[in-house]
Amino acid sequence: MSSVNLDSSLPAPAVVTAHGAEHHDEAGNSMFGFIVFLLSESVIFLSFFVGYAVYKTTSLDWLPPGVAGLEVRDPLINTIVLVSSSFVIYIAERFLKKQNLWGFRLFWVLTMAMGSYFLYGQAVEWMGLPFGFTDGLFGGTFYLLTGFHGLHVMTGVLLQGIMLARSFIPGNYDNGEVGVMATSLFWHFVDVIWIVLFILLYVWQ
Amino acid sequence: MTNISVDALAPDRAQPSPGEPESWRRFFTFSTDHKVIGIQYIVVAFFFFLVGGFFAMVMRGELITPEADLVDRTVYNALFTMHGTVMLFLWTFPVLNGLANYLVPLMIGARDMAFPRLNAAAFWLVPVFGVILMASFLVPGGPSQSGWWAYPPVSLQNPTGNLINGQALWLLAVALSGVSSIMGAVNIVTTIVRMRAPGMTFFKMPVFCWTVMAAQIIQLFGLPALTAGAVMLLFDLTVGTSFFDPAKGGDPVLYQHFFWFYSHPAVYVIMLPIFGVFSELFPVYARKPLFGYKVVAVSSFIITGLSGIVWVHHMFASGTPSWMRMLFMFTTMTISVPTGIKVFAWVATIWGGKVRLNTPMLFALGGMIMFVFAGITGIMLASTPVDIHVNNTYFVVGHFHYVLYGSMTMGMFAALYHWFPKMTGRMYYEGLGKLHFVLAFIGTNLNFLPMHPAGLMGMPRRVASYDPEFAFWNVLASLGGFLLGVSTLPFLLNMISSWIQGEKAPANPWRAIGLEWLVASPPPHENFDVIPTVVAEPYGYGKNEPLIAPLGSMELTRELS
Amino acid sequence: MNIRLILKLAAVAGVLTAISLWMGRLAYRWLPAPASAEALLIDDLFSLMTTLGSFIFFGVTGTLLYSVLFQRAGKYDESDGPPIEGNVTLETVWTVIPILLVIWIAAASYRAYDQMSVLGPMEHIHMGLGQAIAAPLDLAQASAQPESIEVHARQWVWEFYYPEQGITSTELHLPRDRRIKLALTSEDVVHGFYIPAFRLKQDVIPGRAIDFEFTPILEGKYRLRDSQYSGTYFAAMQADVVVESPTAYEQWLQRSAAATPQPGLNPAYAEYQLKVENRGRPGWKTVEPAPSPLVNYVGSAGA
Ligand code: HEA
Ligand code: HEA
Ligand code: CUA
Ligand SMILES: [Cu+2]
Repeated sequence: MSSVNLDSSLPAPAVVTAHGAEHHDEAGNSMFGFIVFLLSESVIFLSFFVGYAVYKTTSLDWLPPGVAGLEVRDPLINTIVLVSSSFVIYIAERFLKKQNLWGFRLFWVLTMAMGSYFLYGQAVEWMGLPFGFTDGLFGGTFYLLTGFHGLHVMTGVLLQGIMLARSFIPGNYDNGEVGVMATSLFWHFVDVIWIVLFILLYVWQ
Repeated sequence: MTNISVDALAPDRAQPSPGEPESWRRFFTFSTDHKVIGIQYIVVAFFFFLVGGFFAMVMRGELITPEADLVDRTVYNALFTMHGTVMLFLWTFPVLNGLANYLVPLMIGARDMAFPRLNAAAFWLVPVFGVILMASFLVPGGPSQSGWWAYPPVSLQNPTGNLINGQALWLLAVALSGVSSIMGAVNIVTTIVRMRAPGMTFFKMPVFCWTVMAAQIIQLFGLPALTAGAVMLLFDLTVGTSFFDPAKGGDPVLYQHFFWFYSHPAVYVIMLPIFGVFSELFPVYARKPLFGYKVVAVSSFIITGLSGIVWVHHMFASGTPSWMRMLFMFTTMTISVPTGIKVFAWVATIWGGKVRLNTPMLFALGGMIMFVFAGITGIMLASTPVDIHVNNTYFVVGHFHYVLYGSMTMGMFAALYHWFPKMTGRMYYEGLGKLHFVLAFIGTNLNFLPMHPAGLMGMPRRVASYDPEFAFWNVLASLGGFLLGVSTLPFLLNMISSWIQGEKAPANPWRAIGLEWLVASPPPHENFDVIPTVVAEPYGYGKNEPLIAPLGSMELTRELS
Repeated sequence: MNIRLILKLAAVAGVLTAISLWMGRLAYRWLPAPASAEALLIDDLFSLMTTLGSFIFFGVTGTLLYSVLFQRAGKYDESDGPPIEGNVTLETVWTVIPILLVIWIAAASYRAYDQMSVLGPMEHIHMGLGQAIAAPLDLAQASAQPESIEVHARQWVWEFYYPEQGITSTELHLPRDRRIKLALTSEDVVHGFYIPAFRLKQDVIPGRAIDFEFTPILEGKYRLRDSQYSGTYFAAMQADVVVESPTAYEQWLQRSAAATPQPGLNPAYAEYQLKVENRGRPGWKTVEPAPSPLVNYVGSAGA
């Protein structure tokens, strides 16, 4: 709750008239609010996961006729790409902390590329599948889960694009930037969700 | 009470005081001032309360005779669906958000909410989804007719075959309402956790803020489950997936779990802030500190926790296995413990006090009494064998109107009267307020008490026609309903005329203790000229201690904080 | 504590107890005559809860009323009350008492529920039709084979099928004092099987078969009502239930077996015809009601 970093730069106010002096730690508020939001968001995924587990364990004809299961190899590559991108974005953040903007941009763009590759891989997998959204509970839950997660990956890449563009505004990231921190937190979140998803969909067959 | 003079905190800026007639236009703008947004919420919600009440009037008109004669059955079904939806999603949630918006920053000593623009965006979604919901009266096939639960497969039936149908619009509206509520919840929780004035620790915070926070946390963990269920239902309805459609192997009961996992806790989203209102009002009008303040505050969070593990009590008859019935019966009953702690604390607060029965106190007392009644019928419902008989009968309808009208809406009226001088800078007319109370109290009991015997006799809810044996109780209920409708007239008259030409209100007309009463009525833009430093627990009635530190010591506490 | 206070409190508690016990007795009268063995258990439980609930309700409101009547501030009295902030003993007492009450109520409810299932499993659900279920453990009437009847629900008509005799009906006939075993199925949406006089209710979920057992004990004519909202003509989805002596029941079975099938009662369908012919009130498009099933026994129209 302290507002040290902002307030300490100001001279101690003799008479606090205007409210300039007690400007709160807005960056901290944003980060806090964002974490609260992510916690809430994770419950949507949790609900879908629970739904998936219930359907899978109780449904009489789980797989649509003619479908044997899911191919694991390509999704596994996809998974590795996405999970490693969490490390890459972390490196980008480190560069930003050291005020090395170009290092930041380099690894940031790499993260975006990895995210986009994941989306591409997901699309390729969807194209090749012998079942659709309306093919029974398996088809429904599969596309629901991967689609909803994919939407989040897409959002993440878009956010990263915005942060990248904003890094070109001179002086903008001098004091670190909540937007970058929040985006990277979101990216880790999307990753963790994917790991659970991967285990549910591909490992538990 | 407090050593600090009010003038010291009053604004010195020359700006039109908010609430002056010339500035009414700002209520129609995209303002980011929490006080403007708060009032915007309250006014819009009250408009929809009238709309939902109007639907109820037609329903009671239909039910005054056993035959389905006033409106067609499809219309009746649409009316109760929309009545329930409007009352919950467009009256209770927005009006409570409005109250929280207005009061929380003032009570914790902040200038505004943590995210003012998010706040405004969350508010403006309310009229948007309100209009979407109302627009469903115009689409072919009419509005959703599947009740406010929207249980599949009924909600999937879509007799017109149109893609844009009442049910789809209903789902869209509920989803937008969820988005708005999540935005509001993130904002309120962040504000309470991070924006409290120096010295205001959690255990110096008014109970209203505690209950609001406990309620908003429920929104955060509950709404996502409803959203998940609603998304799946929407896909079933529009693209033909099979999640909840038994004809395609889906599981309709799973939807019920998703729905109640949110919609049970939602009743505490509705009730907790009203508990907060009671906790604020009783000390003021009994002139005594809140009895057991800390326990009352903390019990809110116990309720939040328990509210997440009781939802199956709405599904005792839904083919729920016996172990689940017994487990959830027990968890449900335990809620009476933290709730009882609050109720007894209020009684003890009033006991031995100097009770003053003006309008807010009357509404708070009436609301509390009806809450105890409803809580007891709630415990009866929690008992599986009893619920197997009365589930989906008017007994349940009676139970929840006693909470939703008898205590939530009455409690909201108490709050509106109590903070009206603060919000508008004007006093309301006490006589009209008392008239409103008398009509509302008699009306509520006449309307909703007869529903209990009707339900015990076996009258199902959601029926447009019924067997003549139930006619007696229904006539009484309808008369009570019309009386309730009439009771809103003195309220409207009071609010509008007082706002325009009521007597000017001082900063603290009730001699109440709390940061919001230290600033002018209405409070200036950004609330405090100087953010105060809180040094005492709230509700220091009879203790003669200052609530905030004198201005001179401000610097010192600032450095310490 | 002084003696006078204790005596006063005891007197108040005595009056409260008397009122509560009286309310508990009254509670039986708010319910229809109990016509099944299960109903007796539920009525006792409800009466108990009414007693306890009355005690709590009148206790709380009585105290409040006393404050409001006798502890009012005078017109010009601007002083504050005593600054009492809490009392640990008192707070402990009013935490512990509700805990004990909850345990009591829960135990009583559990016992009632358990006895209902000992009388016969309340309901058996099997996913997907036709799967084997565990044999019901039936202590009371293990010897007597329960009377099996199928209940088919569809929008918006109840149809009853007696498999042994091959009889269908739109009125449910049951023998008194025999165990009844219903198999509940729905063809479209969720319906609710509810006979208030029996205090029994069970949702009928499409895609599942639900077995439901009970014992009617009182002869008479009762109402079966749909209790789970099922669309436009939900309110009209009712049927009569006739509980009769075993001999009368056998006679009814024989008479019905001989009768030629004819369209059963179906008020929803009749009402829908009015709507189709534009003789009803204006309304929105609805799902069409299922046509009347052909049944051996129609039942008397109306309530
Ligand atoms: C604000 C709204 C609100 C609140 C606060 C409550 C509070 C409670 N409700 Fe209610 N309820 C609804 C709104 C609410 N309810 C709605 C809207 C529905 C129907 C929805 C629909 O079907 O459309 C519903 C339906 C409903 C059902 C389902 C009935 C059915 O469909 O068959 C049940 C069953 O258990 C139930 C139980 C309870 C209980 C145990 C409480 C408890 O929280 C009450 C606790 C309070 C007390 C007990 C009183 C104070 C305590 C004391 C004085 C201490 C001593 C007391 C004891 C030891 C008993 N409620
Ligand atoms: C906060 C919530 C809330 C509130 C305040 C109310 C208020 C009222 N409700 Fe409520 N009701 C619900 C929530 C609420 N209800 C819910 C959730 C359901 C379940 C729905 C479902 O089953 O799906 C329900 C169901 C329900 C039923 C059961 C329907 C059925 O099962 O068939 C009935 C029947 O009597 C009823 C009646 C009333 C009445 C008479 C009022 C009165 O208090 C209303 C008083 C009227 C006014 C205050 C308005 C006065 C207005 C005018 C005089 C005209 C002005 C008009 C305009 C400007 C347009 N309601
Ligand atoms: Cu028929 Cu519900
Ligand atoms: Cu509930």
